[in-house]
Amino acid sequence: MHNLSEEYKTLVSIAERTGGQPGSFGAEDVIYVVVHGNRILASHALPGVRIEAAETGDGIDARITVQAGTKVSKPVHLCFGHLAASGRQVIRSRIFLEEEASAEFQAHCIFPNAIEFLHAMEGEIHLGPGSAFSYREVHVHGPDGRIDVRPVSRVRIDEKAVYRGDFTLVEGRVGNLAIDIDVEAHGRRSRVEVTSKIYGKFDDFCQVRDIVRLTGAESTALIKARVVLKDRSQGKFLGLVDGAAPGARGHVDCTEVVQGEAKAVASPVVQASHPEAEVTHEAAIGRIADEKIQGLMAKGLSADAAIDFVVSGLLR
Amino acid sequence: MLEPQMLFVKDLEVEREGNRILRGISMQVHPGEICGVLGRNGAGKSSLAYAIMGLPQYAPRKGRIWFDGEDITEWGVTERARAGITLAWQHPARYEGIQVRDYLKLSKPDAAAEDLEEALKLVQMEPFYLDRMVDKGLSGGERKRIELSSIYLMKPRLAILDEPDSGVDLLALGEVMGLFKILASGGSSVLIITHREDVAAACDRSYLMCAGKMILEGSAAAVKRYFLSQCEPCVEQMPENTGEAALNHA
Repeated sequence: MHNLSEEYKTLVSIAERTGGQPGSFGAEDVIYVVVHGNRILASHALPGVRIEAAETGDGIDARITVQAGTKVSKPVHLCFGHLAASGRQVIRSRIFLEEEASAEFQAHCIFPNAIEFLHAMEGEIHLGPGSAFSYREVHVHGPDGRIDVRPVSRVRIDEKAVYRGDFTLVEGRVGNLAIDIDVEAHGRRSRVEVTSKIYGKFDDFCQVRDIVRLTGAESTALIKARVVLKDRSQGKFLGLVDGAAPGARGHVDCTEVVQGEAKAVASPVVQASHPEAEVTHEAAIGRIADEKIQGLMAKGLSADAAIDFVVSGLLR
Repeated sequence: MLEPQMLFVKDLEVEREGNRILRGISMQVHPGEICGVLGRNGAGKSSLAYAIMGLPQYAPRKGRIWFDGEDITEWGVTERARAGITLAWQHPARYEGIQVRDYLKLSKPDAAAEDLEEALKLVQMEPFYLDRMVDKGLSGGERKRIELSSIYLMKPRLAILDEPDSGVDLLALGEVMGLFKILASGGSSVLIITHREDVAAACDRSYLMCAGKMILEGSAAAVKRYFLSQCEPCVEQMPENTGEAALNHA
């Protein structure tokens, strides 16, 4: 028999330790949702924000609407997780920010005991004119086992709206990760920033596919990836910006660091479908210099701890 | 009278890329002593520091290293550090995204804010530097000073300082030496690698190194005198990557 309060406490304590503000969950002035598997353990909304969530066979369907003109002052915390070693969780979400609304979402995906687990996030995000939306997804996995993580987002951005997406998986095993983000900035002067920070170890496989289509005039995009791979882990990064409107400007910036027998492939792709668009890219794959690792070892750190320390800075 | 040696190096030979860069080095450092190794650029001083620290690229092909009576020749860098040896690099590495505070805390994980501030004060840096990033907005001299303060926080049993005064803008020699004396008075031994005779002269005792060999050991004043009279200009300076030409000098 499940003990709901224990599951709630465990998930929330990890979430608060890894980026959530202590006391956020349960606070009267904070919007939050806590889901364990396919069970909604807690949900709290505030005026101007509508949350409709339903449990499904393997996860939840959620629709969150931030109504026109609503400025959500404190981050909205979404905690999705499972304490079991195996299973699946599929979160289907539709997030809509109406005109001139703004909100910052922090998703905490917590799987501390996962050995064989599928965690899929299928998100549709629509940002109305002049809205601003920041979405930060932090994963915490256990040190052993494998987990399949499939964050898929389809984002549509209207005029002068701003989208910032930040995916971070730096604690525990990655397992198999396939990030798939597709953004269409069709509104004039819309802005996009997509960042991925990943630390792969052992035989983890990390695939990042970030695509931004700048179809709105004077829209801008920055795709940034920081991927560190060690042991026998592998990583593939594809970052594509298509400048498809007059005055559109985009940049792809990817840095991958490999240690041990890890392998990395980086493919920054820029295309200018419109003659007045400007798109640029930079990519680098390198190793952590011996002198950096040895400098820390001379302070008593093990080689692994030294690498972790360097990586913590790279992925900050 | 000095106590028995803390560090004892015997007949150390190191080869890199086919070149013998350390040639039968023997030396010792006593507890609480500030010991200098003086020599011109290319003499092999930094290689000696790396070999004592245990960098695998400088593993000796011959000779032994003892620390506190224990043979550490086969030990790795971490083991040596945990035994109490540390090294301040001539050019401290840049760690991207790391705050000075977090970097200093590596040396003393339970350090309180006042400890960190005190360590910075010793190298004439203000507390606000704790919030700065190690890789951004710091001059080479400031990074060097932070490195020295991290050594102070570690309170190692043996601190090897590779050209500790180079690039340390605004710090006078007396202030740098003052820091080493604080280290020594706290029970640390200090091994200073330097090409400056005035730095070596301020040590308790010094060695003179040339072309991968120790050519003189003695009082700091005697080593300085020899260095100034015999080594400047040094017509037999070690050519890059060989070390052959200066052998007669020894």
